[in-house]
Amino acid sequence: MSRRFAARGQVAIVGYAHSDVWRHAPRPLGALAVDTAREAIADAGLKPDDVDGFVTAPLFPTAGAHAVEDGVSTVTAQWLAEHLGVTPAYTSGFSGIGQLPGALGLAVGALSSGAADYVLLHRALHNPPGRYHGNPLREAAGSAQWTAPQGFFGPLPMIALPYNEYLQRYGASQEAMAAVVTEARKNGARIPWSYWRDKPLGAEEYLAAPMISDPIRRFDCDLPVDGVAAFVLTSAERARDLPHRPVHIAGIATAAPPRRRLPLHWPLDDIMAAGTGLAGRLWEAAGIGPGEVDLPQLYDGFSPFVYFWLEALGLCPVGEAHRFVQDGRIDSDRPDGLPVLSGGGAIGNGRMHGVPQMLECYLQLSGRAGPRQRERATVGVACQSSPHFGGAVVYTTEPA
Amino acid sequence: MTAQPRTTEGQPTRPLPVPDAVSSGYWEAAAGGVLTVARCGRCRAHAIPPGQVCPSCGSTDPGYGFEPVSGRGLVRSWTVVRQAFLPGFSADVPFVLVDVELAEQPELRMIGRLLDGPAAPGLRLGAQVTAAFEDVAAGVAVPAFQLADASGRPGEAS
Ligand SMILES: [Zn+2]
Repeated sequence: MSRRFAARGQVAIVGYAHSDVWRHAPRPLGALAVDTAREAIADAGLKPDDVDGFVTAPLFPTAGAHAVEDGVSTVTAQWLAEHLGVTPAYTSGFSGIGQLPGALGLAVGALSSGAADYVLLHRALHNPPGRYHGNPLREAAGSAQWTAPQGFFGPLPMIALPYNEYLQRYGASQEAMAAVVTEARKNGARIPWSYWRDKPLGAEEYLAAPMISDPIRRFDCDLPVDGVAAFVLTSAERARDLPHRPVHIAGIATAAPPRRRLPLHWPLDDIMAAGTGLAGRLWEAAGIGPGEVDLPQLYDGFSPFVYFWLEALGLCPVGEAHRFVQDGRIDSDRPDGLPVLSGGGAIGNGRMHGVPQMLECYLQLSGRAGPRQRERATVGVACQSSPHFGGAVVYTTEPA
Repeated sequence: MTAQPRTTEGQPTRPLPVPDAVSSGYWEAAAGGVLTVARCGRCRAHAIPPGQVCPSCGSTDPGYGFEPVSGRGLVRSWTVVRQAFLPGFSADVPFVLVDVELAEQPELRMIGRLLDGPAAPGLRLGAQVTAAFEDVAAGVAVPAFQLADASGRPGEAS
């Protein structure tokens, strides 16, 4: 059976909008989502009534005990369609692994099957009052009984364990990661809506920040924020009549389930085994290899993911990412650099959960990146989450 | 080795395990200072955690029983936790969590506290550990680890 993506090049992104990003927005998340959706629809040269499909991934990615309320801490596709005052033919929310790639898969399915002609894909992220991951858990029942009683809880030890495993196995220094974090913050400082606009970070400041869960330091983590992004998608055929240069979807892959483990136990070998499998399916689907990618936008919700994606995608040999990122080789300002964080990523924008990667692929491939525009950007990859617990999408300027 | 709980007046207690129909044997054994691991009644493979379907033989009726293990294992990774996200750990930070591969089966891994503390010499990939327990409430002990020598004896790590 061929794993070639049958919808390859048939669906395109034709417009976008991004709200400002705040620690805590001055207005409710739902209102921001409506404004951002209207702006994206107008950007695509359309009216709200033209949009007949709505998709999102509504996950509120916290380990805390915060309430999930539609329009407040998350915004579902139904909520957004209702508050835009339109009557869609298709609404859906992706709740699986790899939120944006998964939601994009729903959009491609709706458009290529004819369930919808114009789809709005949005992502709304919320930072609740109080501690983001703090949890007043007193009784550890069900799967939590195997982890919480000994204090293994939340995403910090989750990422710290495989990161330390990487450092120890390959003899990598903690200082090497400064190249990743400062690159994300350098580019985020240039993004108009970024929380970190005009706030680049130096390597000394990165290294001087406190450890949270060794070897994870403060700035290895993205910052929880309020923010909304929206994209408009349609068929490649309809896209020709719209104002902006379309960016086509060439392939999607999401992670297959890794070996069964304790909740949030992510050994390095699990990440790489499932990540390598994902990459193989991604290249096969898109009919494109890693050597043809000129805009790999790697996920960086925690900085070690950049190493893991570099190696899983085959952009550098396994065990070499900590060396590969040095000496300006991922510097987006260098014509010969591999721009893995040119969109600033999550570390450079705030916790927008895969949006910076997808948006940078759209902006660069549509020629809309402004002063950041690269001379050559024809094949982009947008990654989300961990290679074994996420997904990736290949974007191309040409439909096939 | 058994560590006594560091209780501070007015501090909340740590999350306590809620034994269920599957796990009660694990917590009973732990209270007696014995580390057990779920074992499939069909294929005898160990599983952490025990789920609805045996990951080794695929049985949907694995009939898990918790059987004692040696408590010996190798450190595959570790982290020093410096912020407490759960109640009851504020007095404990910084503390070490170790990812341990138990001797009984390849890739049989669990996570526990390393009672030797963050500055323990000898903490490295492949370091030998042996099971230990923390008494966290009356009749409740949580499995943990401590560094061991090559024969599995505690406290002589190099
Ligand atoms: Zn079995």
